[in-house]
Amino acid sequence: MSPSFAILEHTADIGFKAWAVTAEQLFENSAEAMMAIAAEECRIETREERSVEISGDDYESLLVNWLSEVLYLFDSEEFAVQQFHVESIEAPQADAAMLDDSMRLRARLVGERRDPQRHPWSLIVKAVTYHEIEVAERGGRWEARVFLDI
Amino acid sequence: MSLAAQLEKLDDYRWRIPRHSQRGMRTDVVVYATKAIIDKIAQDKSLEQAANVASLPGIVGPSLAMPDIHQGYGFPIGGVCATDYSSGVVSPGGVGFDINCGVRLVRTNLREADVRPRMRELLNQIFRDVPCGTGGSGFVKINFKDLDEILVQGSRWMVNHGYGEPGDAEFAEAEGALPDAEIDKVSDRAKERGRPQIGTLGSGNHFLEVQYVERIHDEAAGRAFGLSENQIVVLIHSGSRGLGHQVCTDYLREMGAGMKKYGIELPDRQLACVPIQSPEGQSYLGAMRAAANYAWANRQGITHFLRGAFKRVFGDATKLDLVYDVCHNIAKKERYFVDGKQRDVLVHRKGATRAFPPQHPEVTAAYRDAGQPVFIPGSMGTASWVLAGQPGSMEETFGTVCHGAGRLLSRTAARKNRDLSRVVKDLEEAGILVRSETKKGILEEVPEAYKDVDEVIEVVHNAGLAKKVARLRPMGVIKG
Repeated sequence: MSPSFAILEHTADIGFKAWAVTAEQLFENSAEAMMAIAAEECRIETREERSVEISGDDYESLLVNWLSEVLYLFDSEEFAVQQFHVESIEAPQADAAMLDDSMRLRARLVGERRDPQRHPWSLIVKAVTYHEIEVAERGGRWEARVFLDI
Repeated sequence: MSLAAQLEKLDDYRWRIPRHSQRGMRTDVVVYATKAIIDKIAQDKSLEQAANVASLPGIVGPSLAMPDIHQGYGFPIGGVCATDYSSGVVSPGGVGFDINCGVRLVRTNLREADVRPRMRELLNQIFRDVPCGTGGSGFVKINFKDLDEILVQGSRWMVNHGYGEPGDAEFAEAEGALPDAEIDKVSDRAKERGRPQIGTLGSGNHFLEVQYVERIHDEAAGRAFGLSENQIVVLIHSGSRGLGHQVCTDYLREMGAGMKKYGIELPDRQLACVPIQSPEGQSYLGAMRAAANYAWANRQGITHFLRGAFKRVFGDATKLDLVYDVCHNIAKKERYFVDGKQRDVLVHRKGATRAFPPQHPEVTAAYRDAGQPVFIPGSMGTASWVLAGQPGSMEETFGTVCHGAGRLLSRTAARKNRDLSRVVKDLEEAGILVRSETKKGILEEVPEAYKDVDEVIEVVHNAGLAKKVARLRPMGVIKG
């Protein structure tokens, strides 16, 4: 199996590139990439499920908002995620006028309430940035690039 | 042609990229650097980012780059940008996610000879007493009502609630609290992230360093700041933790829609901005001030626990007094003489420190003859500096100087081929003890990852932006 993400170098911060066949998988792989950077490898039980709905103006802002949600859940100690299931990403029709917040992502997160002792940070990711962000589909393959502020 | 190729040398410490060098630039970029430093700066995307900042609507004067500049996201780190307060824009990216990240210097009544033999004991005690690293919560238990008060009162709230001594709040930029903070503009999420974290150091490049004054370079200013050779001081570097990060995340999201509404187009989305006078701009500034006040309260909490640790080791007669506290990620309304007239501007300092000269009315009365103290941390193996603001900063850089040595290596590059026990041993041989929750915390911050702080200081000193007051040498470092 080809890797689903790779870490990118940056003078002050850190980033990743993720790949997938569908947009939904790309968003799942991106969340996994971010948490591979942010959290120590640890055992997260599948005790609870959460549903989230995220909106954005375009794929890039949808990705930033999605990753920011995952980061918030971890930092506020609400939820540590074991599995990311992005169930749907709805984009408006190509000929429809682009409206603000017109994209929707629905996901199911499986995990448990975060216990900082058992689920420690590896390094604190402060936030997800728009710096050189990219989400693109090329020849049937989706690719994303994201930088994180650490 | 690359931007580096278009650099014009103005003198030994100043370089310019003219405004026609890249599409969209509204003004020049001016970089403060020696030839050796500019060659290093040209190796990453710093110059391109400083040129992008020059395209912000309403920018006043040049887009400025300090000698510690390095590549950031959107704005370069070590960048300064002033925008017209009535017609210009505010950019949350020009402040950064860690709103009011800053440093404070605490002086003690101890000498190097008292502390050196007990350094390990002291460091262990501080490590126990000051919450640091990736652990989420601290020892200051507050409810949401307390938090709202902190967002308005900053440092002073901590002092009034037993986490400080009289005088702690006064010796800080803006006396540890910006007016016009708006608690309703801070989201519940930001408050949830920030509430348990008050009084904690955090991780990344945040640190607490026990140092001694190696040399006083300016007797009068040193005396005014209460510093003398071989005195023990402590430098604390931290910011607004999860609260500030969430405020910036929340408002970047709003800026996206705002940019469309106000028809602003920029080369990098992380530069997102809206007019200062728009409802979105005013909301961000209200929330940013609240987050800045949280950061001052946070550093005050750390100071309180630091005092406790020193007293436990050296007894109750140990005195720790605040020299000053400066922020290096902030946007502030200030007034400058530009092109022959007074103008109100919003100065974005992204990894840059305010450096007001002697007699400036906003400098704490005790330091009015010396100039505002500025603290420039170097890497954990080298040195840090105390400077005092000079008139050149008012004339050229909107009252601003650098904030550090500036990173050279990425964190992964810093870790590569380095062995932790070797790094720790080398530092110990140089008289520096290090403690960190994680191995990464030490390896990513190895001295080689940074530019030479002394070279950076030479630039701002010789350019007349700030003068050297004291050089500080590390003895014990706690990495967040």
